[in-house]
Amino acid sequence: MLKSETSPKHIPESVVFDFDIYGDDRLTDDLHASYETLHRDAPDVFWTPRNGGHWMITRYEDIMDVVRDPEHFSVREMQIPRVEDPPLFIPLSLDPPDNIPYRQALMPFFAPKTVRAMEPKIRQFAIEMIEAVEKRGECDFVDDISSQFPVSVFMELMGMPLERLREFRTQADAFFESRSDEDIAANFGKIVAIMTELIETRRAEPKDDLISKMTQFEINGRPISLGELQSICSILFLGGMDTVTNVSSYLFRHLAGDAALQDRLSEEPEKIKDFIEEGLRSFGVVNTPRLVTKDFERFGVPFRQGDMVLCMLPLGGRDDRKTKDPNKFDIDREKIDHVTFSSGPHLCLGHTLARLEMRILTEEWLKRIPSFRLKPGTMAHSRVGTVMALEQLPLEWSV
Amino acid sequence: MKINYVTPAGEAVTVNAELGESLMEAAVRNGVDGIVAACGGCLSCATCHAYIDEPWLSKIDPQSQTEKDMLDYASHVEPDSRLTCQVPVTAELEGVIVRTPPSQD
Repeated sequence: MLKSETSPKHIPESVVFDFDIYGDDRLTDDLHASYETLHRDAPDVFWTPRNGGHWMITRYEDIMDVVRDPEHFSVREMQIPRVEDPPLFIPLSLDPPDNIPYRQALMPFFAPKTVRAMEPKIRQFAIEMIEAVEKRGECDFVDDISSQFPVSVFMELMGMPLERLREFRTQADAFFESRSDEDIAANFGKIVAIMTELIETRRAEPKDDLISKMTQFEINGRPISLGELQSICSILFLGGMDTVTNVSSYLFRHLAGDAALQDRLSEEPEKIKDFIEEGLRSFGVVNTPRLVTKDFERFGVPFRQGDMVLCMLPLGGRDDRKTKDPNKFDIDREKIDHVTFSSGPHLCLGHTLARLEMRILTEEWLKRIPSFRLKPGTMAHSRVGTVMALEQLPLEWSV
Repeated sequence: MKINYVTPAGEAVTVNAELGESLMEAAVRNGVDGIVAACGGCLSCATCHAYIDEPWLSKIDPQSQTEKDMLDYASHVEPDSRLTCQVPVTAELEGVIVRTPPSQD
């Protein structure tokens, strides 16, 4: 691919690096380690001509800088390549101060104290799912556990009917796999329709759940509108689907290959917290896009209004300038630094809940299945892009 | 301006703060343990919570309603709790002792 054909004039040749976020030859089954080769092979900040052309930010400090600078890097468009009518996700695609009232209304439902109160219920979900596969001696961890557990927890909290789990999951997958404007719009429309049905039901007959309480939110002193509710529910829905699921899958794939670590965590369950944090550092799954709002220079490169920028959050955790030996999984690190949940005004609202879910899942799994391994001869293919997902994870153990 | 922090491990750390920056920013800039500040100071995460000792506590502007709401959902909250992103460093705070909670989650 020739630069002159594909890159705008303002991009110096020295910062062009050809990388396809939706499927690059450099990416292997060991997705995160193969992604990390960009630190060695590509400029810290580079322009790839693929997918409409966009910047990629690969270093911890630079990512931190971008996600905390809404004046230059806006969230109002989050599609790569850009689309004509980008969907509005409240509060995700609103820059401060517009996102703040919504975050503050939602915050109580995701605050540490609230999340701690959910622990018994979350534990019960985990136990039920693990016990359903325990006697089989094998499972597809993605299909049977990690895609079910966090989504069930989330849907229960929101007040969504659990019997519609599969339908929700399929719809989320379809949305994340959408590339064309038409597909994005159509799949987003279907999600909104599911949400609207739930909002209307709860408005008519409130229950003790998040959707019911959201219908009573006040934003800047006025009642929240249906449109705002639809948008918030949609992003919470998508956020609850594809994040804990994917991090847990990569983390359990790692654990399945390390018998000594399995033994250690069984013997020292208090180390599971560090195991989760190291997992979050090693296996981030979300890359967060930004839209450049004005012409300016930073990181030694020229940004132009309308350029798209992708912050590779998982690479922030694997930055050797921040973390020694970043490709080594080590639960005894003194300090674990990552930007897996992003930072600044769009810091993942569900980070406390996500950590709790993963800790409980690991605790309950190891109590019942303390020793397990990858099923030989199976592939570990990932879906890549702005969200990265392990497609399957066949595990086996002795019963 | 000297600001004294006490980390969750009980260790005393003294840092040089600039007038006008927040107690959170001074802590983060100097890598003080116990102040996480995950949201970077936009009052939407409550992970820069700390206790401010008297007599300094009384010299700080009272909490806004939003800070009160956010603190309601933090952990280990006491009457002397504040979100340090909301407390600017002023001359009156010379020698202040800022104790961090056992955890921010």
